[in-house]
Amino acid sequence: MTNSAKDVALSLSLLALSAVWTWLVIDTIPTGWGHGDIGPRAFPMVLGIILGGLCILLLIRTYLLGRTPAGKAGTGDVDAIEEASSERWGSMILVAIEISAYGFLLQKLGFLIATPILILFVLVIHLRLRSWKTILGMTLGMTLGCWLFFEKLLGIYLANGSWFNIG
Amino acid sequence: MDIFLQALASAMTPMAIASIGLGALIGLIFGSIPGLTFTVALALALPITFSMDPVPAIGLLLGTYIGGMTGGSVSAILLGIPGTPSAAATVLDGHPMTKQGNASIALGTAVIVSVFGGVFSLIVMIVSVDLVSRVAISFGPAEIFALVLFGLSTICGLCGGSLIKGLISGAIGLMIMTIGIDTIDGVQRMTFGSVNMMQGVNLLVAMIGLFAVPFIIEAFAVKTSMPEKSQRISRVKAELPSIGLLGRNLWLMIKCSVMGTGIGAIPGTGGAIASFLAYDHAKRFSKKPESFGKGNIEGVVAPETANNAVTGGTLIPLLSLGIPGDPATAIVLAGLMIHGITPGPALFMNHAGEVYGMYVAVVLAYLWVLGLQLMGIRLFVHVLKIPRELLAVAVLVLCAIGAFSIRNSVFDIYAMGAIGVAAYVLVSFRVPITPIILGMVLGPTLENEFRTAMMLSMGDPAIFYTSPTVLVFFSFALLVIGLQAVSEFKAKKQPKNEVKADA
Repeated sequence: MTNSAKDVALSLSLLALSAVWTWLVIDTIPTGWGHGDIGPRAFPMVLGIILGGLCILLLIRTYLLGRTPAGKAGTGDVDAIEEASSERWGSMILVAIEISAYGFLLQKLGFLIATPILILFVLVIHLRLRSWKTILGMTLGMTLGCWLFFEKLLGIYLANGSWFNIG
Repeated sequence: MDIFLQALASAMTPMAIASIGLGALIGLIFGSIPGLTFTVALALALPITFSMDPVPAIGLLLGTYIGGMTGGSVSAILLGIPGTPSAAATVLDGHPMTKQGNASIALGTAVIVSVFGGVFSLIVMIVSVDLVSRVAISFGPAEIFALVLFGLSTICGLCGGSLIKGLISGAIGLMIMTIGIDTIDGVQRMTFGSVNMMQGVNLLVAMIGLFAVPFIIEAFAVKTSMPEKSQRISRVKAELPSIGLLGRNLWLMIKCSVMGTGIGAIPGTGGAIASFLAYDHAKRFSKKPESFGKGNIEGVVAPETANNAVTGGTLIPLLSLGIPGDPATAIVLAGLMIHGITPGPALFMNHAGEVYGMYVAVVLAYLWVLGLQLMGIRLFVHVLKIPRELLAVAVLVLCAIGAFSIRNSVFDIYAMGAIGVAAYVLVSFRVPITPIILGMVLGPTLENEFRTAMMLSMGDPAIFYTSPTVLVFFSFALLVIGLQAVSEFKAKKQPKNEVKADA
């Protein structure tokens, strides 16, 4: 995908988002009472309209005037992704699944069971690591280290499972 | 003088020194782990102080506060994930320095300038507590709105080449923070009936998602698609910044300290706005503005000086008027009151000894932080020797713990994931994500102060153009936007001129 095509896709997607946002805001949030009460609707509505306006500007700039803003993803942000390969999108989907599954497992099995399952899955399935020393060291070290440090030493509550409850 | 000597004696007891050191260590640990804030650390430390004498007790709390504020820079510089919102601006140049193999210089500079900013603000506080508190308290909703709007104008400097994309990013950040129960009218906004959504999107959860999740995705993607590139930085040095480097940035440190102290003295502002304003100021007045975002040391000096100068600033309204500037100082206030010290105009008459003891405790806390961090740098930089993908696995678990522990809610882990994936998509479309954070940090204050100002004026917008302070901040904001527009116009014109010259 070229930079211009990316910008067109971005502006159209965000334009749709701003339209849906503004419609939902108008539909669900009441206005103020007047006499200086700005009301809870004003800010989200104005922001939705501003976002839409900016997207239209980006679209005009890219599509009609043929100008693509130079520049990277932004100073200091995660490295600008030079090539959006299928591996990158695949990795993104896998990480989203891993985080969701970890949240679910934390709730059901608790920290001490959910964490080694997550780490094992990431190391063996996602990263295809085959060094058993590293796999065992990471899995047990991270799980027990975090449990001892956060729960036992600092007294921070780590999730207990609703199905099992150990630790 | 006698009172001061007594205070010095009470603050220099082994018990007091140890408790300040313990506080600094706890603060450093909590500040450096994304999601675990020093506010949580203070809440955990408060019960420990119940049985202690006032000076060691307040010293423990102040040590935690100061350690936490400084510790946020460690993960910001090493991993590109800010430990606290105040350290978000430090990522911009601190992390690129790590990539260049200069992590230890960035870390060393960050801690030294932090101590400078903190001690500077303490001196300002001691000298001008009465004057500054009177000026700061005169800031009404309209003035704070104008100040925050000026803070938002710094988005222009964080756009990474495209003003429109930076503004889009900032608008998204502002929109995210409107989700949840409206704090003024109590109305649900964009919650879709979900109980979890009623609390809104937590700033820390969003920050972890925006910075950590894209890092994790990228580390895993590079390992699976290009294993040869997955090795972490091998050139790890443990050297400290030279005196010459610090000397060259002395004027910048003084300016940012003044900025941080002033902003800290205004209740409801805080370290994040101070650090972004200081970063923008440093970039604008730098001899090499083009090198910002690529590992310019000034980009570390400015935000770190300013966010630590905030610590002294926040103590001004806290001690003189009993007004805490942020949740962390609210816990310090609780600690003071538990020990029978009621801040306010009579504080210096009734508890002069304890107040002087606090001043000494702040200096000791900064000395502890300096010692702990400078010793720790040799240890911290070895994190970079860990292969990137294994570091990402550890970051994934730590960030999930951080997100969960904020409200003991699994929903926050899901929110972290969703925001992180959205951030990754935005980065891949070359949209800068730092303005989102700025929008999220400043959004609630911007809206609440605007609405309160309009309520106070019964809907008369004159409140925004009759106050000289408001007009000054509006002018600054316009100036920043104008300067950015001009520099973008010049940058576009330059290649054309070069082409003509080549022809």
